[in-house]
Amino acid sequence: MNELANQNEEISAILARLIDPDPGVRRIAVLDLLDTDDYDLVAPALLQALGDQDASVRAEAAIALEGFETPEIIRGLLMALTDEAPEVAKAAAQSLAELKSPVTGVLLVTALSTAKGFQKASILRALRELRVPASLAPALAALNDTDDTVRAAALGVLGYLKAPSAVGPIAVLATSDKAPQVRRIAVGALGFEAADLSAILPALITALRDEFWQVREESVATLGKLGMDQGVPYLIEAMMDEYWQVRLKAARSLGKLRSREAVPVLSKALFHQVSNLRKEAAVALGEVGDARAIPALEKALQDPDPDVRKLAGLALSQITGK
Amino acid sequence: MPYALNRVTVPVTVDADKCIADKGCTVCVDVCPLDVLAIDLTKGTAYMKFDECWYCMPCEKDCPTGAVNVDIPYLLR
Amino acid sequence: MNTIEMEVDVLVIGGGTAGPMAAVKAKEKNPALRVMVLEKANVKRSGAISMGMDGLNNAVIPGHATPEQYVKEITVANDGIVNQKTVMAYAQHSFSMIEELNNWGVKFEKDETGDYAVKKVHHIGTYVLPMPEGHNMKKVLYRQLKKRRVEVTNRLVATRLLLDENGAIAGAMAVDSRTADFYVIRTKTVILATGAAGRLGLPASGYLFGTYENPTNAGDGYSLAYHAGAELSGIECFQINPLIKDYNGPSCAYVTGPFGGYTANAKGDRFIECDYWSGQMMQEFYRELEGGNGPVFLKMDHLAEETISQIEDILHSNERPSRGRFHEGRGLNYRDGMVEMHISEIGLCSGHSASGVWVNERAETTVRGLYAAGDLACVPHNYMLGAFVYGKFAGESAAEYCAEHTPAPVDEHQIEEERARVWGPLSVKDGLPPAQVEYKLRRMVNDYLQPPKVTRKMEIGLQRFGEITKDLARLSAADPHELMRAMEIHFIRDCAEMAAVASLYRKESRWGLYHYRVDYPDKNDQDWFVHVQLKKGEDGNMTCFTRPIAPYIVPLDEQEKTAYEKLRIIKEPATI
Repeated sequence: MNELANQNEEISAILARLIDPDPGVRRIAVLDLLDTDDYDLVAPALLQALGDQDASVRAEAAIALEGFETPEIIRGLLMALTDEAPEVAKAAAQSLAELKSPVTGVLLVTALSTAKGFQKASILRALRELRVPASLAPALAALNDTDDTVRAAALGVLGYLKAPSAVGPIAVLATSDKAPQVRRIAVGALGFEAADLSAILPALITALRDEFWQVREESVATLGKLGMDQGVPYLIEAMMDEYWQVRLKAARSLGKLRSREAVPVLSKALFHQVSNLRKEAAVALGEVGDARAIPALEKALQDPDPDVRKLAGLALSQITGK
Repeated sequence: MPYALNRVTVPVTVDADKCIADKGCTVCVDVCPLDVLAIDLTKGTAYMKFDECWYCMPCEKDCPTGAVNVDIPYLLR
Repeated sequence: MNTIEMEVDVLVIGGGTAGPMAAVKAKEKNPALRVMVLEKANVKRSGAISMGMDGLNNAVIPGHATPEQYVKEITVANDGIVNQKTVMAYAQHSFSMIEELNNWGVKFEKDETGDYAVKKVHHIGTYVLPMPEGHNMKKVLYRQLKKRRVEVTNRLVATRLLLDENGAIAGAMAVDSRTADFYVIRTKTVILATGAAGRLGLPASGYLFGTYENPTNAGDGYSLAYHAGAELSGIECFQINPLIKDYNGPSCAYVTGPFGGYTANAKGDRFIECDYWSGQMMQEFYRELEGGNGPVFLKMDHLAEETISQIEDILHSNERPSRGRFHEGRGLNYRDGMVEMHISEIGLCSGHSASGVWVNERAETTVRGLYAAGDLACVPHNYMLGAFVYGKFAGESAAEYCAEHTPAPVDEHQIEEERARVWGPLSVKDGLPPAQVEYKLRRMVNDYLQPPKVTRKMEIGLQRFGEITKDLARLSAADPHELMRAMEIHFIRDCAEMAAVASLYRKESRWGLYHYRVDYPDKNDQDWFVHVQLKKGEDGNMTCFTRPIAPYIVPLDEQEKTAYEKLRIIKEPATI
């Protein structure tokens, strides 16, 4: 019991420093609280520090509250999202994003109704990992927000939920959002299997013509992830993309789809100047397993890059079964 | 046995104006894996006491006031 | 200076990666157990992942790889010398561990639908799961320790284990690096999780602490296990890694690889034929480094601007974040220049290679009540995730052992002797400063043990390490901090001797550069397809013997063997 007494004494001393006139001292007290052993005693004290008059103390408390999942603390952190000091709001958002228990979702969803801007984006980000059904409706609504970060965060929630009903609205953003980063996330968020292919395919095809290469890259990857045979002609077209990075992902997807139609473009890519693409083309040709690729692959056995040579050899053995 | 006193530069420096060791802060000293930092009680600031740095940076990252700076040790620079 | 006595059920030595997991799992198994983590630094920021980790190299995730496939690959990567059961046990628990860490708050890369974004880097299986936001690892582990009410003691250096009259664990002794207080901790079980022997070779810069591994890891656990009579295995299979020259941090081919970066020679061409992170790969690396197309570089200047900024964000915030500062100092920008690389000093580590304390698939060593996990436990190519999985095994096994055993009495004579040894340097006046002895010892490790290994050189090395033993008694410590460094020299010297003895014993070449013996240049499966074990003999001397390789549980059939052979370009023995 001695230990417990010592510990209480230690915590009392820290609590006393928590009301010291010097904010520096209060801030250190917050840090020290986390090293004590009784989380039940610590939580209320940290919550109190979250209301401190000094922003540096509030920020430290918001950081320290990561990992606490009680309703009082979540409410406190939600309030702190609107703190006048940006470092406090940022720390609170960070701690909320670490929430793991789905039951905390209700509080977050409720708070969404009046939230705006940074606050709203932060709550949506916190909801993403929780995957609670109640977040579907508000996330769909948030797709119309004027703030890019809010729409991006809402897409995060919808992508993780993998809800079929969200496919249409996500597809709209994938093709027509004004922010490239939002379009990219939307394209990726379409990549779940239960989705209605007829709604997804046109959106992915449109995204293949996006002016930003990272959106195109996401689109060819998603076509591969979903195993969409209907996407093959478009992937073949993407093998002509001006960015080799896009071609590389297209090659990977064509390999996954075992597309025989792609043998000519993949064979051509075996001799592209960037060896990363040559490697991927060799892998894909092995996966497709079409004998028409043999001459090109045999030529690739002389490639100056050892990785390309090895992968061409492996592809040849996959095709010939030897 | 007589010993020599060689001078060496240290990679970790502490901004005395920002350091709040005088208010009870020991964060950088606590987190250093090699225990090379210490508090100078007369000045109330942290300093690098032993030249045994892995330039791993917890001292800088965890310092609540941004007072610590980790440079690459001269021999490696 | 006081002597402080404590008693626990499970003592975890080392609070880096495997240690906290072991403690949490022991508590989970039986919350009534007294579980204590003894840490040389501070558990908040200790060990190899003090600043987090930027990715998993060996994630076995359903849909991307199977445990059987993984076991095969590791078997090949380690030139056949594996106890497959231990590798399989890891592989089977790999995914559930990722899920558990994910639930604890560790961040793995996911795509926009929340599926793990596994990357293909190896050519057969797919095992790389990036962790671009993996900098919070220690915070997450610390939170778990607090939640489970695991007792933590920081700044203690464990110096020797205590055994009962039957040779089972009875306790451990330690010294406080700030007060020099001597600790006697009675315990039913000890879990060693002290990491690699990372302060063995001297980095090329000559800076004692500029090591590849966290230099806190001086090989403490290797020495503790050895003196407790445990078997060690594969010590001759050194750890040598590619790294950024001078900075001595990891090159992170696994991070840049999925983005399109690669290891190249001076012409900007790839040259590595070997597909596995292995001694053979290091052999090729070394040859290119020293050859006409050398040295070796990490090439990223062909990547798009957006990709490079993403790589910078990851590399400069995780694992070894000061690398950005290093490049800045040299005026290097990934966009227009390649990063000069080199190979690391030698070390012992099973996380990257295969040198460690022998354990079975329950993390049990050959000493009753003693367990090992992480970089120091011999489960080849185990990496960070392996440390977590074996940490879990160790915690659970130790908890089970506690249920069946009562604390053993400790032998006062052992304690008396150890206290005299540990406190010795404090009363040596006019003695040798630890830094000087350490420099000399590690410089000799480079001179005599760094591959290519030469028999006569290693014999001379052994003789020199023997002479350093005499210097140990002359070590003088001005304060408790220096006392810690003095005790670490004992560990380093033990590891150096083990490295030499085990290397001399295996009379063949294997694992590429890790065990390339110039006077036995060929691999010899007929005589040496065995584990080489090392332990303290009955007479107190270091002794080696062999253990047969247990029959494979995942055999490599002929077709697979040829598939691997096709990937591997066999070359005549190197003449470097």
